[in-house]
Amino acid sequence: MPRTLDRLWHRLRALLLRRRADTSLAAEIALHLEEAEREHRARGLGPAEARLAARRDFGGVALIEEQCRDTRRVALAQSLIQDLRYGLRALLAQPLVVLAATASIGAGAGATAFVVNLASELLLAKPSGRDVDALVNIRLDGNSHVSYADWRALDDAGALDGLAGYHVEGSVNIRQGDRTDAVVPMLVTANFFDVLGVPLALGRGFTAVEAAAERNPRLVVVSDGFWRARLGADPGAVGRALIVNGEPYTILGVLPKGLKSMPGFGLAPEVYLPLSGALLPGLYHPHAAAAQLVGRLKPGAGIAQAAAALDTVVRRRRVEDPDRPRHLGAMTPVTSGVPGLGSIWSFFAVLVVVGGLVLGIACANVAGLLLARNTVRQKELALRVALGASRARVAQQLFVESIWLAVLGTISGVLVMVLAMAVVGNVPLPLPLPLELGVPLDWRLFALTLSMVVIATVASGVLPALSGSRDALSPALKQTERAYVHRRWTLRGLLVIGQVTLSVGLVVTALLFVRNLSLARTSSPGFDTAQTVVAQLGLVESRYTPETRVAFLQQAVERVEALPGVERAAFAFGMPLSIRHGRTSGARLTIAGEPATSGFPASWAENIVGPGYFDTIGIARRQGRDFTAADTVGTPPVAIVNETFVRRYLSGRTPIGLHVMLPGPGHDIDHEIVGVVADSRHRSIGESQMAAIYLAYLQRPADGRVVHVLARVSGDPAASLRPVASVLAELDRSAAVDVQTVSQSLAFAFLPSRVGAALLGGLGAIGLTLAMAGLFAMVSYSVTRRTKEIGVRMALGAPAGAVVRLVVADAAVLVATGLVIGLVLAALVTQPLAMFLVDGLSPHDPLAFAGTALLFAAVSVAATIPPVRRAIGVGPLVALRTE
Amino acid sequence: MGKPSDLIQGTLDLLILKTVSLEPKHGWAIAKRIQQVSQDALQVTQGSLYPALHRLEQQGWLRAKTGQTDTGREAKFYALTPAGRKQLARELESWDRLSGAIGLVVRDGEA
Repeated sequence: MPRTLDRLWHRLRALLLRRRADTSLAAEIALHLEEAEREHRARGLGPAEARLAARRDFGGVALIEEQCRDTRRVALAQSLIQDLRYGLRALLAQPLVVLAATASIGAGAGATAFVVNLASELLLAKPSGRDVDALVNIRLDGNSHVSYADWRALDDAGALDGLAGYHVEGSVNIRQGDRTDAVVPMLVTANFFDVLGVPLALGRGFTAVEAAAERNPRLVVVSDGFWRARLGADPGAVGRALIVNGEPYTILGVLPKGLKSMPGFGLAPEVYLPLSGALLPGLYHPHAAAAQLVGRLKPGAGIAQAAAALDTVVRRRRVEDPDRPRHLGAMTPVTSGVPGLGSIWSFFAVLVVVGGLVLGIACANVAGLLLARNTVRQKELALRVALGASRARVAQQLFVESIWLAVLGTISGVLVMVLAMAVVGNVPLPLPLPLELGVPLDWRLFALTLSMVVIATVASGVLPALSGSRDALSPALKQTERAYVHRRWTLRGLLVIGQVTLSVGLVVTALLFVRNLSLARTSSPGFDTAQTVVAQLGLVESRYTPETRVAFLQQAVERVEALPGVERAAFAFGMPLSIRHGRTSGARLTIAGEPATSGFPASWAENIVGPGYFDTIGIARRQGRDFTAADTVGTPPVAIVNETFVRRYLSGRTPIGLHVMLPGPGHDIDHEIVGVVADSRHRSIGESQMAAIYLAYLQRPADGRVVHVLARVSGDPAASLRPVASVLAELDRSAAVDVQTVSQSLAFAFLPSRVGAALLGGLGAIGLTLAMAGLFAMVSYSVTRRTKEIGVRMALGAPAGAVVRLVVADAAVLVATGLVIGLVLAALVTQPLAMFLVDGLSPHDPLAFAGTALLFAAVSVAATIPPVRRAIGVGPLVALRTE
Repeated sequence: MGKPSDLIQGTLDLLILKTVSLEPKHGWAIAKRIQQVSQDALQVTQGSLYPALHRLEQQGWLRAKTGQTDTGREAKFYALTPAGRKQLARELESWDRLSGAIGLVVRDGEA
């Protein structure tokens, strides 16, 4: 297509050689004018008249030049550059507008990008490893964990290209010098590093042969965080010994920074240890929950194929041994994220919606700003139309200005996000697990922010651009006619409504979470948090038998009680409202002596406690007795229940003396109820009241390595932390001891409501500020536009009060419309929040809703009053003259 | 800035192409030539002449060259390209068809 090429060349040349083309055009026209002038002179006109006549005949030189340029088709590119330059200049002339718009969009997009980012990091991050797309999570039956023997057998069966297991619960004690600390380990099967191909920064991972559990491996791989914090980032750390649970382990390797661990959630176990009997007592028990499985698909094999192969293996084993798992439960790609996390997902969904609301409000704000700007520039636009600009050309110019806003918005959005990430990265969360939210600022985040900003800017730029160019087409410079015509349902009015609607949803959510936090803080957990301290003991299990463990705990309580200022002490398996709060059980219960058909399904919180627990922690005893030192192994089992248990399950019976059949290992065990205690919280501060059963520790020495020793003190509980810790540490040097006041230990319980309140409150505050600023600007702007109308009304004798009412009512209709729509929508949006709110706080909390309504009413009045006062203060004559 | 109707625009293109087909001319000369040949019946307004010239050049039917006017001035001369010659033939043909057809309609019943 030589013609096409030729044309293209022409255009390109015209664009590049624009100046030369323009000069040649000017010369061409000049020649024409000269010739025409000569002709006129030849007809006898004087020199001046001849020139004038030639010009007259020719017409508008500039217009014709412009039309000639248009034929070159470079107009678009040229005018775009021109518009960009002009737009920047025009924007810089109004720095406040630019600042407000940029900050709005930046905050909205930055906040949303941050939330999306955090969510994807927590929930969707791929674990680090070789070819992770070929990795699958595996469950047998409905269980997440399988026994050690099951793992061995399945791995040996060879249905997959390697099958590894890992176990993150629990802790191990690391001794360094005089300090012993409990750290969260990842216990892994020997082939873990072989199968997953986890990268290492230093040294190597252990191999399947050297780390086999049967060889009692003493090997460890440490995390980057552990290496930096505890090994002083020693490059020679590999090969050194680390004392784990009192025994020396050899450091084989150091993991790289920013490693994504297998379980996800940003969880960053500090040490990776091979599974062994020493670290996980009962490892070889046929029912022990030893490991979660992760497998690697054979090259080229599909997931269905692999699942079928593995299922066959499982079923064959079941035939040989009816005690084995029945079938393959599930096989899902590791990259599909962690399943079964509905509540976390919905929490982030709420956050994303809230972030989107902030962005939406920012859009409305910017649209409002641009609209107001265009109105002010109406005359300029009209002039452009009068000079021959087409509507598309005017719209293009207006739109180009939004491009600048997008550029600036992206910059500020990225800044907001970086700031937010820095804050999150540096706020220590009171979590019992090591989390590393290493969120890298990569191009994806940048792209996310950019795309959100672009969408926001386009969305907020299109309407004003179209409406601006339409207005410009209305008869040029005749703006005065419209000053007396007031329409309510204008684009601007709709923007006010939209903005109010969006921000109502945001503010309701934010208020709800702030209310939630304050309620959670003031709501009593049902036990004493003021005068109590709690020590969490991490014991090395292999050092104790059930008998020596009880003896150790009794001795610990005696020693602690002997400390000055300690009134009472007790030990317990679980500590309420901590991550180790005891167990939650459910079963069909029957009462001894009643027919089996009278059994009832029940669910309850269960804790195993020593004598004096209730008096120490401050749970009131209502009936019967406490556990005593006489309730030991061999005596008839006893239990204590809480009031809710009695009310819910034992109605109409006298609880004391009842014999309840509770599920025990193998068969149900008859427990006599000897006491009833007051209700208290168990798992979370916001839970609905649970029924509870307490069992006697001395009768049923709990397994598990962690136990708690509690003490009630008379003075400042913080003062007794150190003495309690040192007494306990003296008793067992290998135990990890962590002593806190009970109120400190509750930080974990408050975490969800605190994080919720902080995140939503923060977003809410941003959104509210944006919405308020936008509302204020728009209402006061539209009042200012009516200055002339107000002047006329005043001149015709309208009392000031009537004018104020008129204008305020006008704004009120807009705000009220938005408010009503917003509240209805908010009621729908907050419904799924119920699970995050404390018991007794409805997602339709009237206080939050009414508070929001009041807030908006106040702001809209505040936004209207000053401009109205200014308008009526101005004399009618002055008002009429304002333009 | 009213645009000329399609008929007039098309006709102007035809007139220009025909005029420069004899020899390359500059803008003023093209306008003058059309005026003279049509015995002042057709006045090409400059407002449409120059944009048309540029458009035709853009479409590859005219090529601009620098040349000397009668008065010795340097000017932009427009010459017909081979593609322009073909276009001229096409336009002439359609003009003949159109004018013949119009003639048939307006003279209907007169013969």
